[in-house]
Order: sequence, then structure tokens, then C-alpha cells
Amino acid sequence: MLYRPESLDAALALMAEPGAVLLAGGTDVYPALRDGMPPDRMIDLTRVADLRGIALADGTWRIGGATTWTDIVKAELPPRLAGLQLAGREVGSIQIQNAGTVAGNICNASPAADGVPALMALDAAVEIAGPEGLRTLPLHTFLKGPRQTDLQPGEIVTALLIPDGPGRGAFLKLGARKYLVISIAMISAVVEIGAGKITNAAVAVGACSPVARRLTALEAQLTGATAADIPALCAKADLSDLSPITDVRASADYRGEAVPTLVARTVLTAMEAPHVA
Amino acid sequence: MSLSISLSINGAARDIVLDDVRVTLLDLLRERLALPGTKKGCDRGQCGACTVLVNGQRVNSCLTLAATLDGATVTTIEGLAQGDRLHPVQQAFLEHDGFQCGYCTPGQIMSAVGLIAEGHAGDDADRIREGMSGNLCRCSAYRGITEAVQDATRRMTAQAAEDAA
Ligand SMILES: Cc1cc2nc3c(=O)[nH]c(=O)nc-3n(C[C@H](O)[C@H](O)[C@H](O)COP(=O)(O)OP(=O)(O)OC[C@H]3O[C@@H](n4cnc5c(N)ncnc54)[C@H](O)[C@@H]3O)c2cc1C
Ligand code: FES
Ligand code: FES
Repeated sequence: MLYRPESLDAALALMAEPGAVLLAGGTDVYPALRDGMPPDRMIDLTRVADLRGIALADGTWRIGGATTWTDIVKAELPPRLAGLQLAGREVGSIQIQNAGTVAGNICNASPAADGVPALMALDAAVEIAGPEGLRTLPLHTFLKGPRQTDLQPGEIVTALLIPDGPGRGAFLKLGARKYLVISIAMISAVVEIGAGKITNAAVAVGACSPVARRLTALEAQLTGATAADIPALCAKADLSDLSPITDVRASADYRGEAVPTLVARTVLTAMEAPHVA
Repeated sequence: MSLSISLSINGAARDIVLDDVRVTLLDLLRERLALPGTKKGCDRGQCGACTVLVNGQRVNSCLTLAATLDGATVTTIEGLAQGDRLHPVQQAFLEHDGFQCGYCTPGQIMSAVGLIAEGHAGDDADRIREGMSGNLCRCSAYRGITEAVQDATRRMTAQAAEDAA
């Protein structure tokens, strides 16, 4: 059966009975269904009004749990969230972006999910509704491993929460071709600048570890850096938190070599400094 | 368990009973509604051959469950021409050789109609290529496709300006 609830309460009530699969854009669920038995009970979240929309309140951006990538790309957001918008522009194709949601991207928990590094660099948190009420946890805690999240039976992601702030974000994806491609590696950075120097930096790397990682050691070194310092700092960055693997898309060595260069380009883009694209 | 939905398809209201709620919009169009213009390439979102407009937005009909669309307006390739008069995008594809075998063409044309309506790309070739990147062409008619989209964009913009005047 397919259920089409129009309110969050109705959706949660349907989730109370185990075995139901949530369907947002279906762009991850549906291709995966082809190879196995389709679930008996599906709950379409696209009509739940409470899950739509992007709004700023009390210094926090709230991105509803059924917000599509196209909604994100089109929204008027501050430069700090530019990395998330750029990531959205690179998720599959426009057809995929029109259907696929940000919440679906993180719940699917693919190591190659483009939204994850962008959201991690923004210190995003995940708001979850369930039988016990609402809870919120940081994205990096929510994501437990490839295809594994902290989502408990009966729970629905209701929103992503992103602290507002100054600075500028960037996102860079490395793929085997320009468009419609799964990432070999992707980087997102958010930097704040004062007098030509970085005062605060966040850098996250995806597709090079089971779950995307922030490069905290490098972030600390970037504080005080000028654009001219970036290439050298990134070239000797400590990447020991990453554990790239060899798969159909690229070798571990290639990933390891590409990351420092990509990080430098992403940080320089976020600084709006000229560099080789 | 069956489910009823109402759709507006190419301007006609249709009430449809879905015996299997897992049927995709693509299979519904082709197998139940005798609208085979929409093509099935990969059946998993990767090629764009099945592109249609749902409420004006481009989607892959192979990834869309028909049951989720109750109340929606769907436009397929069959809904573009007005009688014998081709839609400007169809006309431009003919004039610019925007295809070879033609298998991807309905999807390309629907995608182009969606792209032009979105209004971000204008006649910028790079933006058009980005906006059309969800539609693959095994014959690699990309050059003709891009030119056709540029030309159709110009014609439709001129027509809109004329209509407004
Ligand atoms: C051709 C193609 C290309 C793609 N390219 C990319 C790409 O370049 N980059 C990329 O990152 N991804 C890509 N994807 C994957 C996919 O499109 C994205 O991950 C998308 O964001 C998924 O969103 P969705 O709404 O379609 O998720 P769905 O398929 O609806 O759901 C995904 C998972 O999340 C669960 N879920 C959804 N919403 C909620 C919620 N609110 N609460 C709890 N659980 C929920 C579902 O039950 C399911 O397990 C591609 C997919 C296809 C088919
Ligand atoms: S058939 Fe739908 S995208 Fe290929
Ligand atoms: S014309 Fe043959 S696939 Fe595009």
C-alpha cells in the first residue's frame, strides 16, 4: 500500500506500524527497488506540509525534511550557504534535483552523497520526530557509516538545522565527467575573512572515508592564512582522518593525491581568490 | 490493493485506478494510457529518455510513482504540438539536426521545454549543456541539441515579447 499523509502527525501514526518505507523524491529508493522485492507499505512524504520550506528564525536556517534540491538551489540564501547550493546543482541532473530531497540524501547515507560534506562544513544538525517526540543531533553523529544512520524505527527527519552566520561557502566535486556523475571526491569549505586573512575555516571531505569528515587539524592551520598561503598549507595537510578506498570510480592513491589540490581550490574559491579552476 | 488518482494529461482530465500502486508514471503512460512517445532507456534515472513535465517541472517518469501524483498536471511529448503545428522546440530540433536515431529525442525535447520555462540558461551554450545534462544521447547529437535549444529559446523569447506588446 502507498500512503499519502498530509500532516506530520498522520505520517508518524503510519510509521508506528513497523515495516513501512519512507519515500521522498524516491530517487534513491526507487532505483534500489528494481533489484529486490518492493516494500508492501510505502509512505509518500511529499504532501506533508510541515516538511516543506526553508526559513530563518532565531539565527538558524531550517530546511524542511521534504525540501528538494531545486528548492535549495533557487532559494535566496546567504553566501555562507553557497556550498550547499553548489552541491545541489551537482546532484544528478535537473530532473533528479526536482524530485530528490536533502533529507533523502543524508538518510540514504551514501559515502558519495554530495549534500553531506556541504552540510558538515556548515555544522548542520538533524531534527527528528518520533514516538518519543522531537530530538536533534549533529549530522556527524546522525551518520554512522555507509548506509547507516541513527534513525530509529518510527522516526522521520523533519528538518536540517544550519546556524546562520558570516563568511562564504564553496563546493567542488571531482567526477569522471562533468555532469551527472557520482563523486570520486568532493570538498566543501566555509571561510570567514578579516583583513585578507582567514579568521575561521571549516573544511569537509566526502567519498574518501565511510562517512564524510571535517579536516579539523587543517582548519586550525588555516586560521590566519592569506590566499597565498593556501596551496602550501593544503599540500602538507594532515589527512590521517581519511581512509580512501579503491573502487570502480577511482583508486585510493588517486583520491589521496587529489584531495589536497581540491581542498586548496575549494578554500580559494570560498575566499574569492584567483586560482586555477 | 488498488488506488484511484486523477491526473490532467496533456490537457485532458483522467481518472485512473491503479491496481498496483508501485506502477511508475512511465509505465502508466506507455502501457495503460497509449502514450508511448515517452521512452524507456535505463529505467533508473540515468538517461532522461523518460522526461516529462509534472506541474511544469521536468522529472524522470521512470522514478516517479504514479500513485504519488494525484491531482497533478502532466505534459508529455504528445501534448506539445497544436494540431499540425509543431511546438517551437520540436521545430528547432528538426531544423538543427538535434537527433540521429531519435530514441532520446522526446526526452530531450521535454527537457528543453522545461529548461526554457525555468529561464536560467538563456541562450548561453554552457548553461544549456548543464541544464540538459540529465538527457543522454547515445548518437551524440549534442551539438545539434544545444543549437536547437538556443534557437528555440530565442524564438520563444521573441514570440513572448510580441505577445506582450
Ligand atoms: C541518476 C541519479 C543520479 C544521482 N546523482 C547523485 C549525485 O550526483 N549526488 C548525490 O549525492 N546523489 C545522487 N543521486 C542520489 C539521490 O538522487 C540523492 O541522494 C537524493 O538527494 C535522494 O533524495 P530523495 O528525496 O530522492 O530520497 P528517497 O529516495 O526518497 O529516500 C532516500 C532514503 O531516505 C529515506 N528518507 C527520505 N526522506 C526521509 C525523511 N524525511 N526522514 C527519514 N527518512 C527519509 C528513505 O526512506 C530512503 O531510505 C542520484 C540518483 C540518481 C537516480
Ligand atoms: S528511462 Fe528514466 S531516466 Fe532513463
Ligand atoms: S538521437 Fe539517438 S540517442 Fe539521441
